[in-house]
Amino acid sequence: MTNLERILATIPGIDADYQPFTMLLSLYGASLIKTDTIDYYRDPELWFEGQRAVVDTFDPDIVISPFSFPIEAEAFGCELVFLNKYAPNIKKPIITDLSQLDNLPSPDFETTKSIQFLLKGTELLAQNYQGKRAIASPIHSPADLPALLMGIELWIDTLLFHPDAVDKIMKKTVEHFVKLGNEFLAKGTTFLVVPVNFTNQMIITDKMFMLLLPYLENAFSRINGPIVIHNGGCKLMRFIDRFANLPNVIALVLEHTESFDEARQIIGDKQILMGNFDGPNFANLTKEKAIELTLKILNNRKDDKHFIFATSNADIPYDTSVEVIRAVVDTIRSFKKY
Amino acid sequence: MEKLEKQTLIAGLIKEGEKDQAVNKLTVWANETSYRMVVFNILEPMLVQWGKLWMKGELSLAHGYLSGKVAEEFYLLASQNEEFVSTSVKNKGKVIIGNIEDDFHPLGRRLVSIYSQAAGWDIIDLGNDVPAELFVEKAIEHNAQIIAVSAMMFTTAKNILNVRKEMDKQSISGKVKLAVGGAVFKLRPELVGEVGGDGTAGTAMEAPELFESLLAMLN
Repeated sequence: MTNLERILATIPGIDADYQPFTMLLSLYGASLIKTDTIDYYRDPELWFEGQRAVVDTFDPDIVISPFSFPIEAEAFGCELVFLNKYAPNIKKPIITDLSQLDNLPSPDFETTKSIQFLLKGTELLAQNYQGKRAIASPIHSPADLPALLMGIELWIDTLLFHPDAVDKIMKKTVEHFVKLGNEFLAKGTTFLVVPVNFTNQMIITDKMFMLLLPYLENAFSRINGPIVIHNGGCKLMRFIDRFANLPNVIALVLEHTESFDEARQIIGDKQILMGNFDGPNFANLTKEKAIELTLKILNNRKDDKHFIFATSNADIPYDTSVEVIRAVVDTIRSFKKY
Repeated sequence: MEKLEKQTLIAGLIKEGEKDQAVNKLTVWANETSYRMVVFNILEPMLVQWGKLWMKGELSLAHGYLSGKVAEEFYLLASQNEEFVSTSVKNKGKVIIGNIEDDFHPLGRRLVSIYSQAAGWDIIDLGNDVPAELFVEKAIEHNAQIIAVSAMMFTTAKNILNVRKEMDKQSISGKVKLAVGGAVFKLRPELVGEVGGDGTAGTAMEAPELFESLLAMLN
């Protein structure tokens, strides 16, 4: 069975040779090739070299195109701050007043370097792994991008008190999402991964969620391929049924404290569930503890054939020991599920 | 209407996003009784209860923001009421607060200011993107007991170490405590010590309690 076949088997829920898995090792590729992260997040060839090292070292069933939402926000004019051993971050929001929304640019994909980095990285993955492994492309949710562009406080205030401004920015972010998402798919991506960092119960109210839902429905319905909803480090459960019913959604990645059993009770048995090993906590684990946590997840999902083992939350840290990650991979490979 | 019913009514209005209605209700009750009665018997107990629910993950950040806005607007009205001003408990201590250099995420800081002022702390808010030297300069100028520094991301949190260095340089580390806060400290608690912090709080509503414990360390 190829890595791709193993992932595809989870859609109808048929037996595979072993439990399929993936890990968010976007940053970790830089660690494996021992490169500076500033160059790594600017040069798609160097980034791909890191991802090739990830594949050679851990053999994941899903490979992931460049994961850096600040880089996507940079295309709108945000300034980034780089720190070695970390993915870049946004220095400050570009929208400080709602009157600026009218002048918010729509990135030109041909000329914007940051978008070119994301697309070129995806293209390199596709050239090397398409048809062999599933390729996932992380992309900002149109309902999350405003929080990066204007900051969380202004976005919450806008959602609460300025519905016209919500409509104005959401129309722009939906168009961007549809264009970039379909561009990823055209380059060879198997499915999009849409985190909901700011569209969840920890950040917004039910009323705000319902305000955003029609925009998500519109955006997702125009995507020419499958979509995976990712927790983004926050809990999905309160809105999981809504996410599961959005157009083109085939899978959901739970946050590391969330219960698969509870999720199954809400969304049923057919949709794929993924998770929920805490990726950022990897660096704090011994091999023994990592194996224990892996087995706990595997045993919980032993009878679930619509399940993919995955890390939840953000990137696995740069300084994580290779041996600890390998111990998790070996535990998955040797687990007798089927 | 009993106090508890009034608290529940205000909580319900905030939960529904009805900020103006919540402030109006509080103002009507204040005019019927007093601002002091409304602050101490309705608004503050409700905020304490709200804070507990927030800490348990039962309320969202937006709920925290809304309750902060209601409190901010009502305290502004109360501050114009002579009787309230003359009887308010103040001067628990002075806090210099701000977002560290290169940090532009004010929400947490603003909520800390609102809840701490309500709890009787004198807050001097320096805003976003504040250099380390200015925190210390203002602490000396205002004879403050606490410097509270907010940072959302790891990239900016590391700049807080410069505040500690400046405190040492100006020889105020024994007289002033350094409180740190922001999302990154919840994810990486070990960072509090790494940036020279004396303590942190999980949410804005816990900040007054943190300040009291830091003040106790000075006395």
